[in-house]
Amino acid sequence: MKVTIAKIFLFMLAVVSLYAYVGQLVPQFEEHPPKKKVITPQTTGDDLVAAGQEILRGKGGCLICHKDQERGNERGPDLRRAAGKAATRKPGIAAEAYLIESMVEPYAFIVEGYPKMMPPAMKPPASLSMAEVKAVVAYLQSLGGAEVTVSVQAGDVAAGKKAVGPVHRGRQLMDANGCLGCHKLAGEGGAVGPELTRVAERREPAKIAQKIADPKLWTAEGFQAGLMPPRPDLPEGDRQEIAAYLAGLSGKAYSPTGAASPWSHEGVRLGVVIAVFNTVMLLVLAWARSREKSPLSPGPSPIEGEGRNAAGDAT
Amino acid sequence: MEELLARAIATSAFQALKGTYKGVVKISVLLVLTYLIAQGLNSFLPAADYRSALGLPNRVAVWAVAELHLMFAAFVLGVPIFALITEIIGVATREKRYDDLAREFTKLLAMAYTLTAVLGCVLLVLFIVLYPKFTGILSKIFKPTWIAYIVLIFGEVIVAYLYWYTWSLLQGVRKKWHLLLGLLVNLWGTALLFVADAWVTFMMSPAGIDDANNLVSLWGVIHNHTWMPINIHRLLANVAFGGAIVAAYAAVRFLNAKTDEERARFDWMGYVGSFIAIAAFIPLPFAGYWLGREIYQFSEQMGVSMMGGSFAWLWILQAMLIGSLFLASNFYLWLGMGRIPGAERYTKFQIGMMIVLTIGFIVWATPRSIIATGTEMSAMGGSHHPFLGLFGVMAAKNTAVNLMILTTFFSFMLYRRGNRIPIVPWAVAGKALQALAIAAAAAVVLGYGVYSYFVPSITRIGFSVYQVSAVLTSMALFVAIDIPLLKGAREIGAIRWGHIPARAQYALFFLAVSFTWLMGLMGYIRSGIRQHWHVYGRVMDESANAYTMAHGQATIIVSCIVVVFFLLVSVVFWLAARGGEPAESPAGEASAAKAAGSAA
Repeated sequence: MKVTIAKIFLFMLAVVSLYAYVGQLVPQFEEHPPKKKVITPQTTGDDLVAAGQEILRGKGGCLICHKDQERGNERGPDLRRAAGKAATRKPGIAAEAYLIESMVEPYAFIVEGYPKMMPPAMKPPASLSMAEVKAVVAYLQSLGGAEVTVSVQAGDVAAGKKAVGPVHRGRQLMDANGCLGCHKLAGEGGAVGPELTRVAERREPAKIAQKIADPKLWTAEGFQAGLMPPRPDLPEGDRQEIAAYLAGLSGKAYSPTGAASPWSHEGVRLGVVIAVFNTVMLLVLAWARSREKSPLSPGPSPIEGEGRNAAGDAT
Repeated sequence: MEELLARAIATSAFQALKGTYKGVVKISVLLVLTYLIAQGLNSFLPAADYRSALGLPNRVAVWAVAELHLMFAAFVLGVPIFALITEIIGVATREKRYDDLAREFTKLLAMAYTLTAVLGCVLLVLFIVLYPKFTGILSKIFKPTWIAYIVLIFGEVIVAYLYWYTWSLLQGVRKKWHLLLGLLVNLWGTALLFVADAWVTFMMSPAGIDDANNLVSLWGVIHNHTWMPINIHRLLANVAFGGAIVAAYAAVRFLNAKTDEERARFDWMGYVGSFIAIAAFIPLPFAGYWLGREIYQFSEQMGVSMMGGSFAWLWILQAMLIGSLFLASNFYLWLGMGRIPGAERYTKFQIGMMIVLTIGFIVWATPRSIIATGTEMSAMGGSHHPFLGLFGVMAAKNTAVNLMILTTFFSFMLYRRGNRIPIVPWAVAGKALQALAIAAAAAVVLGYGVYSYFVPSITRIGFSVYQVSAVLTSMALFVAIDIPLLKGAREIGAIRWGHIPARAQYALFFLAVSFTWLMGLMGYIRSGIRQHWHVYGRVMDESANAYTMAHGQATIIVSCIVVVFFLLVSVVFWLAARGGEPAESPAGEASAAKAAGSAA
């Protein structure tokens, strides 16, 4: 038996090794997320073209369907000729405007012979800003050998509809927990404690979250120590949310962990479900136990049918 | 006697409920521990978007545990479907061996459920500890579903344990209640699968949220583009997987059998397992097409990344796996025909079928771009071979896989009628109609395959629906004719169970290993096409593991997971075997005594 088991195990190893080996035969490369590129109105000329090339080949995902050199995909038009044909593609629209429109609203005009399949560049997953779209236009113009006419304005720099985290509940939590009774926030609240509107400029958000649980950590200059009540009862996740909100008021990005306390609503709900199922099962068990021990009534039971069958079969 | 029987029933019911309650206590303890450990660690560890555990890369730790959990979940969802099907066959045919087979596998469920739950709990702890920010985002969106999931888990545990513990009690006229319990186990299991699929598919094709990722519609979040295709795909795959594991178990037992009786029993068990596995496997590629289509509908870019980007190479590997599965299934069927008197009439078809399968395999595994040196590429005129490149596109591959499915179905049908000769007066016409159905489907598949070369990709994808419809229609028509055709058919001889070469058992084992490896690979592709996104296009992965790893590395990880899975499954089988047969229900014994008394 041991020999057979060993043979089967070796057979399994041989099969999985074969598949893993075939996996080594295909081309091996890693794909990394696109790098973040900062484009401002001051980014011009070659820098803008270089940024556009990087976005086109990375974040924009354009080369999944297009090509910008001899080899590449042909699901969409050849980008080397895009700028050259832009002026004549759509009547009444200038070359630069057409190139921008073709990325931001790709279905406004579909080049003949190509399917309607391009996702708008300023929507997920590419989520480009207008500045990034213009950088790509600059690269397309440079590809065609034309003069780079596009320029980035201050309003273009704001991000498009990009991926964002959850909206922090920090302000709601501060209202609910009475923080504004003592602290001023954006012009509202009391003056017993220091104003919190720009507190994250002075303190790390993680430290602010800790301070809520343990106010003894530090006392702001000019304020009396020991006045603030410690709130270790406030769930970790809630404290992080408040810290994230305050960080945002100072222009800092801070991600709350989303952690919840064992005594949060989730924990209570889970406890209730467990308790309900266990109680119901115990009641059913007690009932079954009493049925097992009680004197039996001679009423009809499902067994009668079986009895008849068994007897019938026997006869 | 009546009183004795009634008391025995009460005792059996109490024992069944006691066993079930043990399962409820086990799952309660696990859930409480998981919650306290996860939240305790999260409170203790410093706040961060990402953390790492014991120096292990987050992604590999979560990947391995998630995949193992998924495989066991597939096992515990697949086995009850398998058990219910065989139990129903047992009731319909009045053959006790089907009932015994269903019972033998249901016995594994208690241990397998525990292992699945433990893996699920470890996974949850890993998510909360290693990916706190992302888990927080998902928790917030899916808040109402968590409690529904917990309620479903308890429901599933209760009905599954009752299904097992009442097996003896609910026999005879009470069998219908046992079948109802079996149905409930499967309905509950399916509901669990659907809820978990909502979380997974939302990460691939998010819907129902606004630009700031706030919940707009919970139903929109759940009913996203890929939810239903994945539900159906996984449901079918679970049945195929459950059947394949049963067949592998039978193969191991056959190879270790000491007597002819044992060999006959496990040969039959292997056949039933493989039959259910292959029957569920045949429609799987169709469900896969549907999923692919929905991915394209959701995001053309994601679809193109999946089929035409770096992941394209993994489809070559997938083609090799599915081709191997088709070949192994047919190989097993052809070897099995050796134990069927009269099946030698159909040996002549095997060469033709082998040729179709081999050509299909080769076409399906042909890459579009060939790895070549600069000189070779300039000689070819590009990265695509001037002739072989034609077979590397989906037009050829769709055609190949549909023909392979049709061939395997035909192989099955020949096996089915191996020792039977139809005696109905319309037998010749019926068989001609069946041949016509197969030929027509093959013509439609080939016709659209050739036409696909002349249309754009978006239209080409639509053609696969016509090809699939033709194959499914011809199969349905074939079976619809076959059932009355073989009614009352003359039997040439009984099947000689146990008279099958040992290599057929290795073919069954190969099927199980390949199925499992394929699950691991497809899970990687499904998850990998999100690239550097936790939730595609919405929540970016900003960890150091956000990159897509090299395929070689991924396949090694998949292989390791498969080996660990089989080792764990062996432990489950071993422990179940050591546990011995469950005690016969007092009600069952009393019923038998009553029947004997009546007879006397």
